[in-house]
Amino acid sequence: MTQTALDGVRILDLTSEMGWYAGKLLADLGADVIKVEPVGGDPARGRAPYWNGAPGRETSLRFWYFNANKRSVTVDLGQYDGRWLFGELVKTADIVIESWTAPERSELAELGVEPVACMDAQPDLIWVSITGFGLDGPRSGWQVTDLIAQAASGIATLAGYPDGSPMRIAGNQAYIVAGISAAQGALLALLQAEAIGAGQRVETSIQEALSICQETAHLQWDFQGTSRERIGEQHRMPGIGTYQTRDGYIYSAVGIPGFGSPWSELIRWMDEEGQAEDLIEPVYAETFANFNMRALGVQEELAKLAPIMNRAQEVLTAFYASKTSLEAYEQGQARRLLIGMVASPADIGDDEHLKAREWWLEIDQPTRLGADDAQIRFPGPPYRLSETPTEIRRPAPKIGEHNQEVWVDEVGIPAEDLIAFAGEGAV
Amino acid sequence: MTSQTSLNGTNGTRPLDGIRVADFSWFGAGPIAGRTMADFGADVIRIESEARVDGLRLGQPQKPGKSGYNVCAYFNNFNADKRSFLLNMSAEGSREVALRIIERSDIFLSNLTPRVIERWGLTYEELCEVKPDIIAAYQPMQGLWGPHRDFLGFGAVLTPTTGISHLSGDPDRRPVGVGTNYPDYAVNPGHTIVAILAALRHRRRTGRGQRIELAQIESVAATMGPALMDYTVNGVNQDRKGNRSTWMCPHGIYRCADDPSGRERWIAIAIRDDAEWESLCAVAEGSSFASDDRFATLLGRRRNEAVLNQAISDWTASFDAASLAVHLQSVGIPAALIQDAEDMCEHDDHLAERGFYAYLDHPETGISLYDGPTVKLHDTPGYLASPAPLFGEHTFEVATDVLGYSAQEVAELTASGVLA
Repeated sequence: MTQTALDGVRILDLTSEMGWYAGKLLADLGADVIKVEPVGGDPARGRAPYWNGAPGRETSLRFWYFNANKRSVTVDLGQYDGRWLFGELVKTADIVIESWTAPERSELAELGVEPVACMDAQPDLIWVSITGFGLDGPRSGWQVTDLIAQAASGIATLAGYPDGSPMRIAGNQAYIVAGISAAQGALLALLQAEAIGAGQRVETSIQEALSICQETAHLQWDFQGTSRERIGEQHRMPGIGTYQTRDGYIYSAVGIPGFGSPWSELIRWMDEEGQAEDLIEPVYAETFANFNMRALGVQEELAKLAPIMNRAQEVLTAFYASKTSLEAYEQGQARRLLIGMVASPADIGDDEHLKAREWWLEIDQPTRLGADDAQIRFPGPPYRLSETPTEIRRPAPKIGEHNQEVWVDEVGIPAEDLIAFAGEGAV
Repeated sequence: MTSQTSLNGTNGTRPLDGIRVADFSWFGAGPIAGRTMADFGADVIRIESEARVDGLRLGQPQKPGKSGYNVCAYFNNFNADKRSFLLNMSAEGSREVALRIIERSDIFLSNLTPRVIERWGLTYEELCEVKPDIIAAYQPMQGLWGPHRDFLGFGAVLTPTTGISHLSGDPDRRPVGVGTNYPDYAVNPGHTIVAILAALRHRRRTGRGQRIELAQIESVAATMGPALMDYTVNGVNQDRKGNRSTWMCPHGIYRCADDPSGRERWIAIAIRDDAEWESLCAVAEGSSFASDDRFATLLGRRRNEAVLNQAISDWTASFDAASLAVHLQSVGIPAALIQDAEDMCEHDDHLAERGFYAYLDHPETGISLYDGPTVKLHDTPGYLASPAPLFGEHTFEVATDVLGYSAQEVAELTASGVLA
């Protein structure tokens, strides 16, 4: 059997939806990740989209995606016995990951569930806190959601149209980036702990982790004292931007100085298909060849070139509009032009390249007790490791599915005691 | 402002001390991964060449009044803490030098295309010949094999090809992406680091290195799991829905009063349950929505979402966005000012107090802003020890100290155009 990269690492995952991805990344790499849920289950178990469109706590595709490979136990941290049980479980763990809100954090601390105390008792323990704004600082108490993090990190202001509102990037990207940051921190601390025997506290501020996606906005402020604004559809020069095709859209990045993918090749392509019109006149290729990034920011230079730019735009727009998105994408790429199809989920699901690479996984996911498993096509991993490949070993757990296995068999709670704890609602 | 903001009082012990990275990457996704390793203690040798200058060295923003390879903040931010080593891989004898670097490294990092990797003779199998336990991380756009193996791209092309553009933005307008090369900054470098750290652990336990293949299109698609599964499981092809949420309502970005200079100001508000809705109504007493029964329940709010959003916009229009966000947060409502770069760098007291941004003194750009480490380890924090290297700044130093060439050999390799 292949060894996994994170063999023998036990992680307790107490996160809400905003921290799910950290545990997923580590579980897929082989860690034993145990979801520690409240007695009624993680409240986010019911989030859309759903299997067969049927809303429910055992049918959330979102939950399945982010929680496969994890085991589930339940425990009520509001009860004394629940906290004692949790304490016993922590003793078996290498890493704890939580994403408590500030009020939750102080409430639990008052009850004695407190990272510093746990780490004092267990010096090699790593405790990872995923927070919206960090554990200290004036906004450490602020509430956060994906939208709020995108607003506060300087990226929402860059997305959207200049005459419309700032926009959120799809896919709960703030939670994704939070998960990546926390997984990095957990692994860095693990390398350190395994080398010197000392664990430590790790902290992700989603605002900080996401803010690096401002690209150059903050750097431009530092150098020039101006804030970058969203540009929407204002193509700074023809060849760059979103273009309509016969059946959708493509994004074209042709002619960016220093990126290859030159306009001369685009003109050759149009010419070979009899659609270049007057763009075959040398002035067009020369103008684009001599263009540099600096000119993009200089209004006078742009104005001088306007007649050439406008004509090139007109011809190119008609050219792209004569093709399907897939044609423009594949034919352009065959000429080494930077063109991407604006792909919908269906386009990605049907993509020949991802299929040929066997990226998708097939998983049998139980839906509810007694019912047949759902056979689902599951997105593959972000990376492929040749010696320690990621794998999905088990589907997402039902609420408390591993209570017996974890509490009795692994933590060593006598079975009759577990029954008593269950009777009083502690598990 | 000084560089001290990033140092966090550390005495220097970091998790990747003693690890050396041969960083053959360029532009964004590769160099950022290298920088994270440098922040946490690795010796990252960034391979550059006059024959193939990183486009970001020539990009924007550049320090006003300066020119050349060393004054672009876009490059500098991603390469702090590294050493710059010139090596022209087109010159005869260059591969031997490259392999000598790899032989003395723990990690090889590259976002070059598969064609260039093969042309330069830097495939995993070839690296293993000189360094059997190397951890070799490749970030090809679509993978090292497959029908689209040679497709080109970067973040602005990945945003559309992975569904982010289709699913982001105003449903009534054309999909224009998200305004940046988004996947290049946190997603692809971040995933790469996670894989490298896992591989490092495996190497420590078994002595074995491995190849990491991060196909950038797969790495970004993996962030879109639920939407992709709605199609692969249910056959439902989702569309973009602006700033609306599938379950929170209201959930949006609302215009507030312009600031005195005429700058647009906006606020984000996300209401997760009826209790937060009631809190919002209490704050907005007297507004048109606060006493409207249609909005009392989640279902009612969702059914009348367009009307509700208009009513909230009417209400927020007269407020100062930053003050309103503070007030809403004080009663437990998720809200935030839509921050622009000025807010991030000048007015965000919270970020400033946490010392997130580092200000490092660079020989050509002066004191300049750099992103801090994006995760905080309390006992062995990452930090930025030095600003970005000048182009080729460490060629001699690396050639002699790391690679063991004599000064005479360095002179010859320079004269023959290898170290250039």
